[in-house]
Amino acid sequence: MSDPKMKFLVVDDFSTMRRIVRNLLKELGFTNVDEAEDGAVALQKLNSAPFDFVVTDWNMPNMDGLTLLQTIRQTPHLRHLPVLMVTAEAKKENIIAAAQAGASGYIVKPFTAATMSEKLEKIFEKMGKKATA
Amino acid sequence: MSDFAGMEDLLQDFLIEAGDLLSGVDNKLVDLERSPDDRGLLNEIFRGFHTIKGGAGFLNATELVTLCHLTENLFDNLRNGELAVTPEIMDVILAATATVREMFASLEQGMQPAAADPDLIARLRQAIAGDLVGSASEACAPATPGGQSAGGGAPDWELLHGVVTGVARVMSPVREAGPLAAVVPAAPVRPPEEVIKAAVGRRVSDKPGAPVSTGRRDGEKQRDNSIRVDTTRLDQVLNLSGEIGLTKNRLNALRSDILSGRNDTETLHSLDIAVSQLDLLVSDLQNAVMKTRMQPIGRLFQKYPRIARDLARNMGKDVELVLAGEETEIDKTMIEDLADPIIHLIRNAVDHGVEDAAERVANGKPEKSIVRLEARQEGDHIVILVADDGRGMNAERLRAKAVEKGLITDEESNAMDERQSFNLVFLPGFSMAAQVSDVSGRGVGMDVVRTNIQKLNGNIEIQSQLGKGTTFVISLPLTLAILPVLLVRLGDQPFAVPLSMVREILPIEAKEVQEVGGRATMVVRGEVLPIMPLAGLLGWPLERAPCYGVLMQTAEMSFILGIDTFAGREDAVIKSLDDFRPKGVAGVTTLSNGQIVLILDMKELLGSAGDQRWLSRVTMMAKQVATA
Repeated sequence: MSDPKMKFLVVDDFSTMRRIVRNLLKELGFTNVDEAEDGAVALQKLNSAPFDFVVTDWNMPNMDGLTLLQTIRQTPHLRHLPVLMVTAEAKKENIIAAAQAGASGYIVKPFTAATMSEKLEKIFEKMGKKATA
Repeated sequence: MSDFAGMEDLLQDFLIEAGDLLSGVDNKLVDLERSPDDRGLLNEIFRGFHTIKGGAGFLNATELVTLCHLTENLFDNLRNGELAVTPEIMDVILAATATVREMFASLEQGMQPAAADPDLIARLRQAIAGDLVGSASEACAPATPGGQSAGGGAPDWELLHGVVTGVARVMSPVREAGPLAAVVPAAPVRPPEEVIKAAVGRRVSDKPGAPVSTGRRDGEKQRDNSIRVDTTRLDQVLNLSGEIGLTKNRLNALRSDILSGRNDTETLHSLDIAVSQLDLLVSDLQNAVMKTRMQPIGRLFQKYPRIARDLARNMGKDVELVLAGEETEIDKTMIEDLADPIIHLIRNAVDHGVEDAAERVANGKPEKSIVRLEARQEGDHIVILVADDGRGMNAERLRAKAVEKGLITDEESNAMDERQSFNLVFLPGFSMAAQVSDVSGRGVGMDVVRTNIQKLNGNIEIQSQLGKGTTFVISLPLTLAILPVLLVRLGDQPFAVPLSMVREILPIEAKEVQEVGGRATMVVRGEVLPIMPLAGLLGWPLERAPCYGVLMQTAEMSFILGIDTFAGREDAVIKSLDDFRPKGVAGVTTLSNGQIVLILDMKELLGSAGDQRWLSRVTMMAKQVATA
C-alpha cells in the first residue's frame, strides 16, 4: 500500500512547517508532495487534482484543519482520503474532536521521521484491511 | 559551538517566518489594547503563538515552546471568554512577547534560549488560572516539574480513536510526546519594565559604555543573506534572460554573415534591430533583477507601533503611531540599514517632540498625540517621513544650546537661518533634553541617524513649526546598485560625481570671481558660494583656472566644483573597490566606450581639503586669465 508514488498534500500556514513535513516525507521515500497554506486552498487543490493522502495542521486562517477534515469526509469523491492531523494541539478534547470528525491519525508536534513513519504505516495497514475486506 | 548543527537552514527559515509572525503579533497586541474584546484579534494572536510553538518544537527549543504554550493557553482562555483582557494581563502578555523576541535573538546566535524568567512563567500561570494580582513579586509559585503542561504524555490516539469510533484496537506503545513540561531553572529575576525595554531592540547598545552584543550583530548578518522573492518576479528574470539568449543567437548569426562579407542594407538593418532589442532587454533585465531586491517597507514599519507604544507608556504619554505607505518598495539592504535610524527618530518624537498630556490640553490640543510614519515614492526617490504633532523646534533655543555646548561660536550662531539651526541637532554631542532621560537625551543618535542615512546616499531634513510639530524627512535613492552621475573632465581624465548632489552647471567667468576672506567665491543668485577646483581637491597641480563650475549641495554646504568641462550624465553601475580604495573615490564604473571612470566621494574629498592654500590662487589665476 505504501506506494512511493503516492501524492501527498501538506496543509499548513507556516511554510517552515510545510518544509519540515515535506522533508520528513522525503526521508520516508515519498517525493510526490504538494503544499497548501490553508484549508480553503487545500480544498481547491483536492478538487482540481487527484491526491492520495492529506497531512494537515489544525490551526490555520480562512479554513482550519478540522473544518477541512469535515469537508473532506462530506465530499463523496474525497471521503476515502486518509487525513493525518499534525498539530501542536495536545488537548484531549482536540484529539477527540479530530477522531469524531474522521481523522485517520493524529500527531502532536514536534515529532520525528520515525513517529511519522509509524503513523503512516498504521494508516496504510488500516486502509489495506479495508481494501481486502 | 552551535546547538543547531545540521539544522541551520531550518533555523534560518524559522527565524525569518516566526520573526514576521511575532511582529504581526506585536501590532495586533497594540490593536488589542484598543479593542480588548475583539475575538478575531484574540484568535489571530493565539494562532501566532501556536504556530511559533509548533516550529520551535522541531528545533528542540524547549524553553520557547514552554513560554509560547503558556501564552497560547492564556489566549485560549481569553478568546473563549473565560477571561477578559485587563491591563495586568496585557502587561504579562507584552512581557511574554518580549521574552519570545529575546529567545529569537539567542536562536539567531545559534544558541538554545535560556529559560524565561520564572516570575514571568508564574504570572502567566496565574493569569491563565484567572487570579493574577497586580503585583508580580508576591506571585512566586515555582513551576512544578511535569505539572500543568498539557503536552506531557498526550492521550493515546489509537485508544481514543477506538473508543470514539467504537472499533476496539490493540493498544500501541505510548509514543513520546512533546516534552513541554520543563523544569524551569532559576534565572536572575528582572523587573518587567526591563523586559519591555528589551523589546525595543538594540537601544541599550547605543548608549555609551553599555556592552555591545557583537554576537547578535553577527547573527543578523547571517540572517541578512537570504531574501524572499515573489516567484512571479523571478519568472520575469528567467523569461528575460531567455529572451536575451535568443537575441544573442541572432547576433551570432549576423556576425557570421557580416564576417563572410555580407554587408547589404538588409543585414545591417537586422543588426540594428537586434542590437536595439538587446538594449531594451538588458535594461528590462536590470530592472527585473533590481525588483527582486525590493521589499515592501511595511515589513520594517510593522515593528514600530509596539515600540512607540512601549516608549510612550514608559513616559506616561498617550501616543499613537500611524503608519502610511507600507506597500512602498525599497531595496532590501536599505530596509535593514534604516531600522535603527527610524527607531531613533520615533523615540525622539515620542520623547522630545510630543508634549505631555497636561501641556497639550493647556495648548488646546487633543490629549492623544499622533506620530506619523509614512513612506512614498517621489520620482526616483523614496521619501520617509516621521512627523509628530508636538511642540515643534525652537530655532533660537537650539542655537543658544549649541553655543553653550561649545559646538558653534556666537558669530556662526548669528549667521544661521532657521533650517541651519534645526540641523544643529545632527551635530555629534548635541542634546536638547535638559535632563538625560532613560530613553534619549544622551546626544547620541541624531548624528548617527544622519551618518547612516548619508551612507545610503540619502539625506535628512527637518521641517518644524513651533506649537504645531516637527517632521523629519528622509529621502533615499531607489537603489544603491545604480547611481545617476554627472561626468566631468579635468584635461582628458573623466570623473563621475553623484547627480543627486548637483544643482546646476554654470560657466565660471573670470570677472565674476571674487576673493572673500582669502577664498575664491562667486555670487549665484545672491548667494556667495566658494569655488573648489576639482584639481585642488584631488591634490593635482593647479595649472589653469576652471572654465566650468558645478553647483553642488551637500547636507552641510553648497559650493561650486571647478572643472575643465563636462561630458553629460550617465547611469553608473558601481563596481566597488574592495581592497584598494584611494581617498575620495567611492568606486569605479565603465563607460559605453569601455573607458574606466572613477566615481568621486565628494564628502571624503571635501574632508581632505584641509590645506586650502590653493583657494586664493584660483582668484589670482582667474584674474590673470581676465587680464591676458
